Amino acid sequence: MLAGSFILPLLLWSIVSYVPFVWHPNRLILDPGSVDYFQPGMLVDRMTFDEETATARAAGKALPAGIPANPVYLPAPHEVAVALYSAFTTPPPGKDGVWLHESLWHSIQVIFWGFTISSLFGVPLGIICGTYSAAARLTEPFVEFFRYLPAPAFGALAVAILGIYDGPKIAIIVIGTFFQQVLVISNTVKRIDFGLVEAGLTLGVKNLRILPRIVIPAALPDLYRDQRILLGWAWTYLIVAELIGTTTGITWFITQQARYQHFANVYAAIIIIGIVGLGTDLVLALVGRRLFPWDRPSPHG
Amino acid sequence: MPRDPDPDSPDYLQQSDAVRARFERLRQRDIILKVDRVGKRFRTGKGETLALNDVSFVTHRREFLSIIGPSGCGKSTLVRILAGLTEASAGQVLLDGRPINGPGPDRGMVFQGYTLFPWLTVKKNVMFGIEVNQPDKPAEPLARQWLSLIGLEKFADAYPHQLSGGMKQRVAIARALANEPRILLMDEPFGALDAQSRARMQSYLLEIWKNIDITIVFITHDLDEAIFLSDRILVLKAHPGEVQELIEVPVPRPRRADQAVTPEFRAIKARLEALIHPPATDTDIEREMPVFPRLTSVTDSVE
Repeated sequence: MLAGSFILPLLLWSIVSYVPFVWHPNRLILDPGSVDYFQPGMLVDRMTFDEETATARAAGKALPAGIPANPVYLPAPHEVAVALYSAFTTPPPGKDGVWLHESLWHSIQVIFWGFTISSLFGVPLGIICGTYSAAARLTEPFVEFFRYLPAPAFGALAVAILGIYDGPKIAIIVIGTFFQQVLVISNTVKRIDFGLVEAGLTLGVKNLRILPRIVIPAALPDLYRDQRILLGWAWTYLIVAELIGTTTGITWFITQQARYQHFANVYAAIIIIGIVGLGTDLVLALVGRRLFPWDRPSPHG
Repeated sequence: MPRDPDPDSPDYLQQSDAVRARFERLRQRDIILKVDRVGKRFRTGKGETLALNDVSFVTHRREFLSIIGPSGCGKSTLVRILAGLTEASAGQVLLDGRPINGPGPDRGMVFQGYTLFPWLTVKKNVMFGIEVNQPDKPAEPLARQWLSLIGLEKFADAYPHQLSGGMKQRVAIARALANEPRILLMDEPFGALDAQSRARMQSYLLEIWKNIDITIVFITHDLDEAIFLSDRILVLKAHPGEVQELIEVPVPRPRRADQAVTPEFRAIKARLEALIHPPATDTDIEREMPVFPRLTSVTDSVE
């Protein structure tokens, strides 16, 4: 299943990359011939190439030679695979160059702190809002308002307050996650089976102790699932967050590689983000199955 | 079902000497639950509806009382008021002479839906009430004892989702009783079970009830179930929910399934049928059977 769903996109990418008559809008110059501005290894537009060939032929000069090629921003799968491999094996060029995994580790730390700080406040507040309707009425209108404000809009403000290093980046992830988190968690808690609360009350659980005794354990597997989804959202804020202040982490790696037109490296970095994200989610799903052995579809309803 | 031709002595009121003596003993026991002119109004979109009106009755210690009535008679509302989950709009409920105020561990409840805590094992479910109310008491040996009483000690470490419906309700009963309540309220607890497990659960419940000091108030819409289980049956009528009759069940104990054909059983069943399903009126839409035309695609008769 997991592998199967990747085959189709990969196949599409391979066809576009390796079948010469599919797309390939450029020509890769092998021999410039008589065209003075052509150079070996240069990519030119197919129309330009054809025009120059016609001109050269009319003038009776040496013809340029070239093969169909895709634009520089679409490397072939094997090039990305090589880039992915060499990103971990060959040291980065330049004295301030960083390894891919170093920038990735920096990004993971930013995500971790952003998500942890958001959860530290968002989860308890969400549980309280989901349990006590008075608390929900008090906070939810503001949360709803705030959740529509794009988190990156606070970038400049975050830099002014928290400086140019990791502070504002973490803040953007917190702002982007927190308000959704309160609403999502609150909704999950509201959906618990009220019969369980009533059963607890008839067994002698009093007032506030309903929360730790019944509400939280009843909602826990769903809260865990929510957190997994919210962690994915936190990742989507990462790139914007890392552009704020000094560009760092995987974003720095990507922008840097794109500047030198090393697009294979850009794709490698993007794929790594995907692998880390999917990997984290799979691990968390596995851990969840261990943590909540009772959370199984029941055959008896 | 033939009705007794003599209205002065309908035979559901006739009791054998043994049964009469049993009710004598019952009435001599303390009154444990006193429901005193309880009423309940619900505010709805179209104004107020009166769900319960002036309901009064008493229950003696170790009595098995069933409450039956047509749908909409407020029997579930009544048991929720007894549990303290719903507040009465009028009157009061006294448990051992003290007015009840909100839910409490002195009144155990078994719900129709399965309300075992899914995150706790069967054993931990049974321990729940003890741990909440008597944190100093070792809960585990008591829970094990209860599990062996209901015959589920093998499932002590199973989770509720691994049990069948009947087993879940057995655990729910044990969970409520481990808390040592004064009375056990049961709101159609076997309603979702198939006929076989239902019959088994009824016998189980009688076994438990016989052997411990517990008073049971049992809601059902199944007349046979009410007769099979109860000492007395409180019959409610609908719109508003009011007491119609409090009937002493003349069927002798111990109860067996084959008593269903005895004259006492048939007499009280006939009486209950007459109370709950009165002769049809013109407005009773549920009783009218619509004429169903044969579909054009169906060409042959199956009869």
